[in-house]
Amino acid sequence: MSVTPLSRGTNQPNHIPFYTPIGNETDIFESAYRNRLPLLIKGPTGCGKTRFIEHMAAKLGRPLYTVSCHDDLSAADLVGRHLIGANGTYWADGPLTQAIRHGGICYLDEIVEARKDTTVVLHALSDDRRILPVDRTGEILEAPPEFMLVVSYNPGYQNFSKGLKPSTRQRFVSLAFDFPQTAREIDIVVTESGVERDTAKRLVTLVQALRSTAEHDLEAAPGTRLIVCAARLIASGHDARAACRVAVIECLSDEPETVTALMEVVDAIFGD
Amino acid sequence: MEEQVGILWHRWINKLAARRFPQMAVELTDVARSAALLYRALGGDPGATLQAGAQTLHGARRSMLQRLAGSERKAGLAWADSEALRLPSRIDVYPEQRLNRDAYFWLAALCACDRAPDLPWAARNQTATAAVIRNYPGLRARYFRLVDAEIARRPEPHKLPAAEALQEQAIRAALQYPGSVTSWPAAGRSPYPVMLWLRPDAPAPIGIAAGKTQPFATAANVAQPDKKRCSAEQAELPERQGGMLLFRPETIFSWSEYAKVEHSIDDNDDEDLAQAADDLDVISIARDGRQVAKKLRMELDLPAAALDQTPLDGVRMLPEWDYRARLLRPAQCQITPIQPAQTIAGVLPARLKRDQQRLKRQFEALAPARIRLKSQPDGSDIDIDPYIRHLADGGEGRFFTDMRKRDRDLACLLLADLSLSTEAWIGPERSVIDVIRDSLVLFSEALSVTRDRFALYGFNSHERNDVRFYDLKSFDEPYDGKIRSRILSIKPAYYTRMGAAVRRAAEILERQRSRERLLLLLTDGKPNDTDHYEGRFGIEDTRKAISAARQQGLRPFCVTIDQEARDYLPHIFGKNNFIIIRKASELPAKLPLLYAMITH
Repeated sequence: MSVTPLSRGTNQPNHIPFYTPIGNETDIFESAYRNRLPLLIKGPTGCGKTRFIEHMAAKLGRPLYTVSCHDDLSAADLVGRHLIGANGTYWADGPLTQAIRHGGICYLDEIVEARKDTTVVLHALSDDRRILPVDRTGEILEAPPEFMLVVSYNPGYQNFSKGLKPSTRQRFVSLAFDFPQTAREIDIVVTESGVERDTAKRLVTLVQALRSTAEHDLEAAPGTRLIVCAARLIASGHDARAACRVAVIECLSDEPETVTALMEVVDAIFGD
Repeated sequence: MEEQVGILWHRWINKLAARRFPQMAVELTDVARSAALLYRALGGDPGATLQAGAQTLHGARRSMLQRLAGSERKAGLAWADSEALRLPSRIDVYPEQRLNRDAYFWLAALCACDRAPDLPWAARNQTATAAVIRNYPGLRARYFRLVDAEIARRPEPHKLPAAEALQEQAIRAALQYPGSVTSWPAAGRSPYPVMLWLRPDAPAPIGIAAGKTQPFATAANVAQPDKKRCSAEQAELPERQGGMLLFRPETIFSWSEYAKVEHSIDDNDDEDLAQAADDLDVISIARDGRQVAKKLRMELDLPAAALDQTPLDGVRMLPEWDYRARLLRPAQCQITPIQPAQTIAGVLPARLKRDQQRLKRQFEALAPARIRLKSQPDGSDIDIDPYIRHLADGGEGRFFTDMRKRDRDLACLLLADLSLSTEAWIGPERSVIDVIRDSLVLFSEALSVTRDRFALYGFNSHERNDVRFYDLKSFDEPYDGKIRSRILSIKPAYYTRMGAAVRRAAEILERQRSRERLLLLLTDGKPNDTDHYEGRFGIEDTRKAISAARQQGLRPFCVTIDQEARDYLPHIFGKNNFIIIRKASELPAKLPLLYAMITH
C-alpha cells in the first residue's frame, strides 16, 4: 500500500517542528483553519511546504494525515476500502476519511500527481458543504470544524495532464511559497544541521548561485532541503566539497558534463 | 628562397619574443561549458552566450625582441557585453596548465561580479576582485596563486621609465591587495596588459547601466551582430593569427540575410544595420580600403517557385485576424498545398544512427504495452479488490483481471517552420534547417516505434496569396524511406505566416478521431511576412489561430530555438505550452523526448 498516513506522531503536542515564517503565512493558515477554508500551497520543491504544514498542525494541536500523491493514487486510496479479516470482510478508512472522523488536517502532497478522479472526491469537501460521500458504505460524512484540507503542488510542469483543473483550484485559499531570503535560509541550515554559521553561509551562497543557473542548466531550482542534507553531512565530519557533491550536485544532474561544471561553482565557494 | 627565410625568421623571432607556454595552454573550448555555468551561477547575465573574444591592441611598451618580431601587440583579455561573455580563445601565459585553467574561471567570476562599470579601469577591477574573493572564498586561494604568476610575468618596475614604473607598482599593489590602490599614477603609455583584469575599455554588461554601452573604439573592434545566431558563427572563428580580418565575409552575408528576413519585425533594424555598417567600415577599410559595407543592401536570392515544387489540388482560402479591427476577416490567405517531389527511398544519415537507436529503445516504453484490465466479468486471474467488495456488499461478480493491449489514443501533427530564416547558421557546418530536418527524421523514427498516429507538415509564405503548405507525411501514410527522403529534401524559402499555417494544420488534425490531438509547432522565430503581417499583427493572428485550435479540442504546443521567444510566445501559446531549446544543435535529440514528456 503506497498511501502513508504519516505523522500521527504529532500526538506529542509539545514538539513543534522548526519553521521560520517568511511572511504572513502562519496567520493565513490559522485564519483559514478557523474559517474552515481549504488551503492550497504551491511552490518549488524543497522550499519548506511540508515542513510548514507539520509546523502548523503541531501548533494547532491537530493530528496530521499526510498523503504523498503519485500517479496511481485512486479515490479509494483516499476514502477507504474493504479488506479481508478473520471473519470475512471489513471496512478500513482511508487517510482522508480518518482525518474527517478524527477532526485532523489532511495534507495531500503533490496533488497534481494523483489520478484525475481523486480530485473529484475533494470537491464536495472543499466547498460550503464540507461533506465526503463514501459510496462503498453508503455513508455521508460531515467534516467537523477541526477538519482541514490542505493540498500542495509544484507549478511549472510542462506536462499537459499535470495541471490543476480550474474547478478544483478555485475552491482553495492559495499560498505561494518561494525560497527563503538569505539570512533566513542561513538560519534554517544552522538550526536543521548544527553546522557553523560560516559553513551555512557558504552553502546558501552555493544554492543561490545554482538557482541562478537553474533556468539554463538544471531541470529545477535546488531547494533548501538539498543544502540542509549537505550541511548534515558536513556536521558529521565530511569534507565540504565531497558533501556538496553527493548531497547537492549529483542530485541536480546526471550528465557528467553538467556535474563537472556545477562542481566548479562548488570549488568557487568551498575550494582551497 | 627569400620567402622561406622570412617565414623561418618570423617563427623563430616570434617564439623567442613571446612570453608564452604553448605546452601548458588551455583552450576555451575545453572549459567553455564550466566557465559559462560559473558565470551564470555567480550572477552573470543568464542570456549571454560564451564566446572567444577578439584580441585587444594594448598599446603597452614591448620588449626589444617583441618589437623586432612585430608580435605581442595584442593580448587576449576578457570582458562581457550585452551579447556574450568573451574570454580569450586560449590562455597560455602562465607556466602551469592549472594556472591557465584557473585563469579562465577567475575571469568568468570577475565578469560576473563586475557591478560598477562606471568606475575607472583600475578601481572597477579592484572592486570586482574584492567582491569575488569576499563572496566566493573558494576562489580566494586560486586568485592569489594567479597573482603570483601574473606578477612573475610582468615587466620589472625598475627596468621601466619612472612614470611607467609607478604605474606598474600601482598595478602590482592593486593585484595583491585589491581595493588598496585609490589614486592612479598617469603614464604616457598603457600599462602591460593585466591578464586577471577586464579589458580596459570593457563595456558595461547588460542589466547594469544599460544604455551607456558604447561600441569601443579600438582598431580591434568586433562587430556585434544583433542576433545570437550570427554570434554563434563568429564563435567558431576566433581570431588566431592577429590579422585585421575579424570575421570572414560569409559571416557578413549571413548577417545581411538575417537582417533582411527579419526586417519587418524589429523597429530599430535600420539603426542596427547602420551600426553594423559602421563596424564593417572600420574593418574593411583597415583591411584593404575596399568597401564591403555596400554589399549589405543586396537583395535576397529567393528560390524560384517554379523550380521548387509542384502545386497539388485546388485552392483553399483561410481567414486572418485583424487585431486593430478586432475582426476575423474571411478568405484572406490562400493555401498552396505542396507535395515534395517523389524520390527514391532515403536512408538514415549516418550522423543520426546513434541517436536513432537510443531513441528507439527509449520509445519502446511508450509503445502499446499489454496492460492488466481490472474488474472484468471474465479473465485469466482473480482481481482481489473487486472480489472483496463482492464479498462485502454482493453486487455483480466482475472480479477477474485480463491482459489486453492498450492503444495510446493519440494523434500528433508536427508543423515545421520552413521559412528562410531557418537557413541561418548555428555552427560551422550546420544551419537551422539542417537541425530541423534532423529533428523531423529522428522524431519520425521514434514515433514509428510507438505506433502513435502522426503527420508532418511544413510551411512558409510569400504574402497572403501564397501560403505554402508542405505535405511531408499525412496521417495515413506509413513512415518509410520515401518520407525520409522527402524530409531530407526540404529547403527553406520565404517567410513565416504562422496563423494561416496553424489554421490549416488544425483543419487536418481535427479530422482525426483520436482522443488526444497534439499540434506541435516547430519554429525559429516570430511570425512575419513581407506585407502587413509583421510584429503585433502576426503575433495576434497566430494567437487567435492557436486559441481557435484549442477550442476545437486540439492541444497546441510550440518548440522554438528563438532565444528571445520568451518575449512573445507566452502571449501566443500560454505560459506552459511552449519550450525554448537553448542550443539548437540539441533539438534533434531533444524533440522526441519532449514529445514523450508532454504526451506521457
